[in-house]
Parts: sequence; C-alpha cells; structure tokens
Amino acid sequence: MTAVVLAATIGALFALGTFLLLRRDLIRVVWGLAIVSQAANLYLLAMGGIAPATAESVPVLAGHGEDVPTTADPVVQALVLTAIVIGFGMTAFALVLSYRVYEEHDTLDVSELSDRE
Amino acid sequence: MTAGPSLGGSSQLVIAPMLIVLVTAVATLLLGRRPRARAAVSLGGGAAYAVAVAAIDWYVVLAPNAPGVATYQVGDWPAPFGITLVADGLSAFMLTMVAVLGVASLVFSTRHLPGGEGRSYYFPLFHFLALGVTGAFLTGDLFNLFVWFEVMLMASYVFVAYSGGPQHTRAAFWYVTLNLLASAVFLLAVGGIYATTGTLNMADLAQRLAEPAAYGLEPAPVIGLFGLLLSVFAIKAGLVPFQFWIPTAYRAAPPQITALLAGATKKVGIYAIIRLSFTVFAGAEIGVDLALPGPVAIDSTLSFVGAALFLMAGASILVGGIGAVGRDSMEGVFAYSSIGQVGFIAVPVAIAATVTGPDLRQLAIVAALVYALNHTLAKGLLFLAVGTVRSATGTSSFDGLGGLAKHSPPLAIAVFVASLALVGIPPLSGFFGKFLVFDAAARAGAGPVIVLLLVGSLLTIAYATRLWNRCFWGAQTPAVEAAAIDRVQVGVLVALAATILAVGVGFEPVYEFATAAAEAALDTEGYVEAVDPVGPAELADSSANGGDH
Repeated sequence: MTAVVLAATIGALFALGTFLLLRRDLIRVVWGLAIVSQAANLYLLAMGGIAPATAESVPVLAGHGEDVPTTADPVVQALVLTAIVIGFGMTAFALVLSYRVYEEHDTLDVSELSDRE
Repeated sequence: MTAGPSLGGSSQLVIAPMLIVLVTAVATLLLGRRPRARAAVSLGGGAAYAVAVAAIDWYVVLAPNAPGVATYQVGDWPAPFGITLVADGLSAFMLTMVAVLGVASLVFSTRHLPGGEGRSYYFPLFHFLALGVTGAFLTGDLFNLFVWFEVMLMASYVFVAYSGGPQHTRAAFWYVTLNLLASAVFLLAVGGIYATTGTLNMADLAQRLAEPAAYGLEPAPVIGLFGLLLSVFAIKAGLVPFQFWIPTAYRAAPPQITALLAGATKKVGIYAIIRLSFTVFAGAEIGVDLALPGPVAIDSTLSFVGAALFLMAGASILVGGIGAVGRDSMEGVFAYSSIGQVGFIAVPVAIAATVTGPDLRQLAIVAALVYALNHTLAKGLLFLAVGTVRSATGTSSFDGLGGLAKHSPPLAIAVFVASLALVGIPPLSGFFGKFLVFDAAARAGAGPVIVLLLVGSLLTIAYATRLWNRCFWGAQTPAVEAAAIDRVQVGVLVALAATILAVGVGFEPVYEFATAAAEAALDTEGYVEAVDPVGPAELADSSANGGDH
C-alpha cells in the first residue's frame, strides 16, 4: 500500500513538474524544475526500499544506545542529501537568472522573449 | 588499502591534479582585487596542473613497467564504500587533452578578459570548470560522477551568462533549464542502478553485472537505465537530438570558454559514454532479445549503445554539417561544425559497441580517441581565433570581416592549419583521426556508414572553404584595417597550430598512447582488480566477526 501511494505521488510530481516546465512564464518553468528535481529525490529515496513502520523499526523508539534495527538503506539517504543541496543551489541560480531576464527584457513571457530576436 | 599497483607515490598522484586546481581556484578567488597577482597565480596553477597530468601520463601509463592503472581511495575507505579515484590510460588521455587546451586558453585569457561586471570571478570560475572536468575523468563512482558534472555545469552556467547582454541571459536560462532536467534524469538513472545492483562503485558494478547470478541480481532493468544515462551524456556531448542548446550557448559564452566547452566538457560526455559502456556495463547481458523492427538485435547494453549511437552520430554529422554551411558568423559555423565533428567521434564508438572482435573494437576506440584529440586541438584553436578576431575587430560576422589573411598572416596560417585538420589533410592530426575512423568503418563492413562519413567530410570542406573565403580572402573591411591584433593571442594560436602539426608528424607516440587508452577502456578485469572492491564473501566474513550490528 505504502509503495503504491509513494509511486503515485512520485508520478504526480513528475507530471506536475513537466506541466509547469512547458508553461510560458519563466517563474513557472523554475517551479517545474524544482518540482521535477524533488520528484527525482523522492524516487531516489524510495530506491532504498520501504520497510513497514512499527514501533520496533524506528531507531529512537527501539531503544536508546542499544542495537539499532535495520529500517532502510542509509546510502540513498546520503545521496539524496547531496542531491537536495545541489538542487537547492541550482534552483537559486535559476531564480536569479530569471530575475535578470526580467530586468533586461521587462517580461517573463517566453513567447515575447523569442519575438525580440 | 591504497596500495596502487607498485610505484610508491603513484596512488597519491591520482588526486594531485584535482587538489592543484582546487587550491588555484580558491587562491584566485581570494586575490579577486589584484588582477596581476590573480593572473599570475592562475597561470602558475595551470602549469602545475599540466605537470601533474604529465606525471600521471608517465608514471601510470607510458613509463616502462608502468602499472596502467592507479587508484586512490579517498579517506582510506575500502572500495565500494568510499569514493574511489581511478587514473588509467583512458582518463590520462582525456586529462592530457584538457591540460593542453586549458593552458592555451589560460594564457589567452590573461591577455584579453571578456568584459562585464564579473571580471574578478573569471579565473576562479575557470578553475572550477577545470575541477569539475578533472573530477569527472578521475572518479570511479557513479554518484560522484553526477556531483562532478554539477560542479562543471555550475561554472559553465555562469560563463554562458557571463557577458551579461540580453541574448546571453536568455541563452543561459535555456542552457540551465536543459541541464537541470538532465541532472534529474541522471539522478533517476543512478537511483535505479543502485536499486538494481546494490552498488554505485564502477568497478563493483562491472563485477556484479558480469556475474549477475553470483550476486543474485536481475540485470534486465539496467539496459533501460543505461538508456537514461546515455541521453544525459549525449546532452553533454551535444549529439542530435540533444544539440539544440549548442549554437546559442556557444555564441553567448566568451570565446576562450567556448573553446573549453567544445574541447573539454564535450569530451566529458564522450568519456562517460566510453567508460560506462565498455568498462562498466559491457558485461550486462539481459538474456532476452528486445524485438525491434530492423536488423538490430538488442540483447546487451553494448548492442543498445551501438544502435542508439549510430542513429545519433549519423544525424549529428548531417545536422551539424548542413547547419554549418548556412551560418554567417565565425562562431556560428564552428558551433554547428562542433555538432558534426562529435558525430565523427561517436561513429567509431558505435562501431566498437557493435562489433564483437576484440582487435576491431580496440581499433575503433583508438579512432574515436584520436579524432577527439584532433577535435579538441583544432576546434579549441578555432574558437580562440574567434576571440582574437572579435577582440581586435569587434565583430565576428562574415559581413564585417574580409581580408584577414593580408592583415595578419600568422593568425591566418593558424586558422588555415586548424581548418585543414578538421577536413583531414595529411600530415596534420586530423588526417589520422579521419583515416582511423574510415578504417574502422571499412573493417566493420559498414557501407552506409562510410557513405555518411564521406558526406560529412564533403560538408566540412564546404563550410571551411566558405569561412576562409568570406573572412580571410577578399578586400579588407574598415573593421579589419583598423584592427590591432594581440601578439600573445596569436602566439597561443600558432603554438596550438604547431601542436596539431607535431601530433600529425610524430604520430607514433600519440597512437601508442591512444592504444593504451583503448586497452584500458576495454580491460574491465584490470580496472576491477586495481580498484579491488570488497566481494560478498569478504563482506560475510567481516559481519561474522562482529564488525557489524
């Protein structure tokens, strides 16, 4: 059940991201990029496997200082952490760049931008 | 654990170029307000980088009894857990190309920094771009490859937006959008490969894919995930249908950076395709035949790469060649020509992926590498020449130029040599590149491919001649008459032209180096042995000893 919900969520995020990427407004394009990269992060996280949640499977609840139960693969979480940081920086850069486009062209509409060749 | 095969210092040597370029980048950032010191540190760092790369070439690959591969396990973590850096023939060959072009571009940049507000950030960005490229060539880990790609791209984004005009900003926006999308696709592929195989270390991956049964994996999804990776690398290499960003981005970036984009970051895409297809994923047989229309049977990663690359490379040669004939500015011609030339590099890679004989496969990879070397030198020179012409005359469109040959014979000779190298005239480096590509195609018995290569070569002659006639022959325009051409810049161009000639005349050692690189690309066992990932048996041992909860 969890897996189905997660898969549907990731799919919905990709769909939304793609939809926004195809808009004419540059800010929406940046939003689309952010959402697509978050969808990719979520997908990456899901690749570590999904364990059903019980009180025993949560490290903090299972006992302090004792053996920690195996819940999910920590490698993907480390990867996602890196990917989130990179994605964050890139989104900031894309936002700055679209502000610059606005300053120089007085518009954020893609079709107006290409008219002024 | 860091025991690289013999040669005491060789394992630390692997990380040297990355450290040098990182230190230089930070130092130039700190010296932002002192232009002279900044340029001097920059040049010093570039020279040190070249020396480090030459040391890797010699001690790892070319010296008698050289080990062929050297590894550095970062932080002394054993192979599949930590980050592994690997320098072998293929990485060394690629690094050498970048070092030669990088130093030329640095010297060029000290004479003429492109205008704009961000002058003090030019050199730090330059070195961060080089850092990303170097990291991508040396890493032995798939996720780390993604990280180095991002480092390289971040610097290149800024450079495309660097000149700050309205067109540049718009070109940069689309360049950033495309590459961010590609990064998301890269992540998807990395995640899928990790879920399928349980590892991201390239040597470990190769080991597991060669014997899927021993590790209990089902390799079939890998072929589709590799398709995603291939599209990401094709975007970096600018193969059709992912070529559309090239003309605008190459026009927007400063010419000496465009030389690096064409000469170095493009080669990162080619390198990643060769490394992953032949060293890492070569063993992946999926056991079922994907029934596609036509004569192509796709039952392994390699046959998939072969089929996909043939289509993309063929289309690149045609689109690039035809596009270049119709352009009306120097950088426009060279940008489209760059799309076509990458097709010439990808065709032998596709041949290598398709044929089964080991000798022919190696010959085809050598052809791709020699052609890539020629492209780096010649196209690097030509883009730098655009920079010289543009800084001297203020224009690079055909309408504003004419009679450059009379005004500056050394510039004209350098451009002439590079154009002939693109066309493939002996005794220049381009002749051997083209000869080997045709040789590989002929031996593979690929008739249609030879016709395609011939058409591509004719198109090259057409656009090179047209550019020469419009810009270098004819009457001098007012802009050319008033031009004061910088001597150091022309010196760099002449030095690169001499290198092109030297590579062609003394081709024997270059050929040996390229052969060593191709052997390294095909030698999966040697690669795995050098990296020495911990196997499943040893893993079971260590957990039995209580090393793990």
